Amino acid sequence: MSWDDKLLKQAKKIIKLYPQKRSAIGPLLHLAQSKDGYISDDSIAVISELVGITEVQVKSVSTFYSMYKQEPTGKYLLSVCKSISCEINNSSEVINKVQEFTGLNNNETDEEKLFTFEAVECIGACGGAPAVQVNYETVEGVTSENAVNLCKWLKETKPEVVVADEMQENFGGIKSFDWAIQDSSGATSTAPGFQTLKTTKVKK
Amino acid sequence: MSEKVNLNVNGIEIESDPNKLLIEACEDSGIHIPRFCWHKRLDPVGMCRMCLVEVETPRGKILVPSCTTEVGDEMVVDTESDVVKKAQEGVLEFLLINHPLDCPICDKAGECPLQDQTMAYGPGESRFVEEKRHFEKPINISEIILLDRERCILCARCTRFSDEISGDPLIEFIQRGNKTEVNTFPNEPFRSYFSGNTVQICPVGALTSTSYRFKARPWDLKSTRSTCNGCSMGCSIELNSSQNKMLRILGVDNDAVNQGWICDKGRYNFEYLNSDSRLKNPLKKMDNEFVEIEIQDVYSELSEVIKDKQTKVNFLLGSNLTNEDYVAFREFSEIISQSEKSFYLNDDLLFKGFFGDNIELAKIDDLNSSDAIVVWAEDLKEKIPVLYLRIRQAVKNGVKLVVFGHTNETLSDIADVYYGKETVSENFEIVKDVSKLKEIKDLVIGKNITAILGKATPYQSDESVTKLFEFLNLNTNSKVLNAYSKGNTYGAFKTLENVKGLNDFVNDISKESTDLLFIVGADPVGRSVYSNQIKSIIKGLDIVVSLDNFNHETSEQANFVIPISSTLGEKEGTFTNIEFRTSRIDKLVPSPGQTVSDWEFITSLMNFAGLTVKTNSLEDLNTKAYENLEDSVSPVFDNLDKPSNLDGMVNVSKPKISSSVRTLIKTMFFTGEKLYGDSVTVRHSDSISLLGSKKYIEVSESLAEKYNLTSGKCTLIQDELEVTVSYEVSKSLPNDLIYVPKNRRDLNKFDFSREINIIPSQVKEALNVN
Ligand code: SF4
Ligand code: SF4
Ligand code: FES
Repeated sequence: MSWDDKLLKQAKKIIKLYPQKRSAIGPLLHLAQSKDGYISDDSIAVISELVGITEVQVKSVSTFYSMYKQEPTGKYLLSVCKSISCEINNSSEVINKVQEFTGLNNNETDEEKLFTFEAVECIGACGGAPAVQVNYETVEGVTSENAVNLCKWLKETKPEVVVADEMQENFGGIKSFDWAIQDSSGATSTAPGFQTLKTTKVKK
Repeated sequence: MSEKVNLNVNGIEIESDPNKLLIEACEDSGIHIPRFCWHKRLDPVGMCRMCLVEVETPRGKILVPSCTTEVGDEMVVDTESDVVKKAQEGVLEFLLINHPLDCPICDKAGECPLQDQTMAYGPGESRFVEEKRHFEKPINISEIILLDRERCILCARCTRFSDEISGDPLIEFIQRGNKTEVNTFPNEPFRSYFSGNTVQICPVGALTSTSYRFKARPWDLKSTRSTCNGCSMGCSIELNSSQNKMLRILGVDNDAVNQGWICDKGRYNFEYLNSDSRLKNPLKKMDNEFVEIEIQDVYSELSEVIKDKQTKVNFLLGSNLTNEDYVAFREFSEIISQSEKSFYLNDDLLFKGFFGDNIELAKIDDLNSSDAIVVWAEDLKEKIPVLYLRIRQAVKNGVKLVVFGHTNETLSDIADVYYGKETVSENFEIVKDVSKLKEIKDLVIGKNITAILGKATPYQSDESVTKLFEFLNLNTNSKVLNAYSKGNTYGAFKTLENVKGLNDFVNDISKESTDLLFIVGADPVGRSVYSNQIKSIIKGLDIVVSLDNFNHETSEQANFVIPISSTLGEKEGTFTNIEFRTSRIDKLVPSPGQTVSDWEFITSLMNFAGLTVKTNSLEDLNTKAYENLEDSVSPVFDNLDKPSNLDGMVNVSKPKISSSVRTLIKTMFFTGEKLYGDSVTVRHSDSISLLGSKKYIEVSESLAEKYNLTSGKCTLIQDELEVTVSYEVSKSLPNDLIYVPKNRRDLNKFDFSREINIIPSQVKEALNVN
């Protein structure tokens, strides 16, 4: 098995949360994503063994959802929304500028494996359009200049944890809602930050 | 059955069982609704939308897919309205958007539902001018199956089949939306014993088989319905030929038996018919060499022998004879001998079985209606594959399953209770008192049980399985399905008396008891556990006559070899399956050279010898086979050819098996047979020949560890014999056991009841295992 004991232990804990083992596929795939930055065939084999279905069945699930990446991603997955609210609020300009800065086309990863760029459908932040995500941590009201600044900051400081609140403060603008809750935890990989998956960390 | 419901379809009142799907209810009343994804043996998915119909609702008429909508009382349905027609045109236009339309080079063209339904319901023209999506043209998803993803219409029939029916989901939809394709996992091919069924049910030419690819056009095919004699299931099949060559076998939906499915061996193990290595002329051994002779000369030489009243004749019969062939040998033996005769069947597992007067024999359909199924038998997936599917189906419908012993590994995976080593030893001895097993008691006592009982290994005693039977007989309302797996064994049971097995053959046959031995369609030297003994017995006899399609290790020892026509497509007759269902074997292609049918050979021989023969034709033999049955229920040709009897006729009979009782032989080797072996027919069926050629054994984890087996290969040594095999370490085998597929080349040469040395490759010192 290509998963180390720590990861396997975590996986088994997750499986226990479900009445049927196979129901745990979703989170297990996120776990695989956090390990390698994509869903490797090795990880699929491990998951298939863990939940007792065939590899191709796991592959079928993992290729259905676009958040499970089939190719290795960079350290930071930049997702810019291209759906209607963001589009009206000039997201195409944001997309252009980010592409210009990173030199990436849609769904491409740069050579240093720093950035992966993608233009995505609605990420549920219409009230704060245009919105951007870094490793699924959402920043709203991002102008094209700020989007470039955000990229520059990521490139220069290469933070281990990216935190939505922090990025919002430095690079964001108008927000959909003000939750009035400070959250200093963020994502540690290109899998979304979930506590149960341990893909999230508090930034010191 | 609950009340019927009434519905109005296209202005016609029809009746249906409740809970039926609309598409099925309409079909039963003769109203056809076009469809791609719906298949009556698979769960509905509503993938293709071809079956849209209009149904009246309180909100007005709406379009619903009839394959996912259940009938309701007073439902009003329109399957032909303008709206429906428009929907059908629309669906077809969408389906054709990405379809390559390479019908001129597609195997399916001419029998393709997509072609046919486009003609019947499609729009006349396409409005699509953009680029179609492209995939690499066919990819091999297994050794025998190819997939052309461009042609696939994503109906999910193949994926549902492999998940729901055969239980080996090695193909699935990959990606999403416009990019969706069917595929396998890398390096995990679609190796299924049932993969050919997906080719048959694919509604387009996306799945094709290496065997039939580019061989013929459907409109050039001749076809007939017959019965597969590959195992005792006797699946209903359709034979297809073109220009007198057999080209394809399809499964036929026989509700009581195979429900449309057949195994891949049954489907592809016909190619040998067209092999150049087939025997075409009789052979006679002279100075240790075979020379071709005329069949007339065989008759005249042998008739001299049988005219001599002193000649002692014996028969070793294979399982691929028709009932009429068996009857011909019976007649022959009655005419030539005064004393009672035995017939030896080519089966090293034959034992008395459970046919006593107080025993009710089960039908295959009883599996579905019983509370629980109890299995003690050979590996049914390897030996009676479609029976394995029927067990899976019953379990899916909620029937409980109890499995004894390690042979049925795949069934134990879905079993409610599995009794392994602590209960049934690795040599298949019951080591516990069955009546004290709590789990089985809860499931079976006082319940309706179908017990599938047979010998799991040739070395097991008769006693243990009998103990299980007695427990069930006493405590449950049980029916028994005796699990003899070989071809037409039940036909032999039906037509012959004093049937014995290979173990009896080894004990009984010698120069003293036998002057003339007929070996018909049997290669016991090639694939039984008595290989060596039988070889030396045959060598010692004066005259041995082998009748077969090919020369093989047994016929090599014979004095005469007679080329015979194959029961698959080259002759007519009847076959009796595991539930004593007799059905038709039909002829479609001529057989080569001077080949004769078994019955023709023996009848001609009798006539040549001047004996008074009463059964001179196939019809005579057919009538004779069932003479003890009343006319109305007798499966004679006239009755079987009635449309209502095409699925066969069941006449349960209690066979007379006089095989001697066997006691346990303890051994570390567990011998079984794989579906694909190194038999002469598989060896000459090109598309599957490689599947049965790998020489390997399975070693339990404990043994692999104990002897440090790491290299993947080892050598087995016994006396003069040395065979190097690859091995797999098996997690499911009980400790300290080695599984040997005895139908793989050279492995049958060992005597597994004695000591065999095993030397792992690269490791020097031998280890003793016995
Ligand atoms: S390959 Fe054939 S059966 Fe399978 S989904 Fe495609 S069209 Fe349907
Ligand atoms: S299960 Fe037996 S009878 Fe059926 S197709 Fe296979 S070999 Fe033939
Ligand atoms: S047949 Fe009903 S949706 Fe395909």
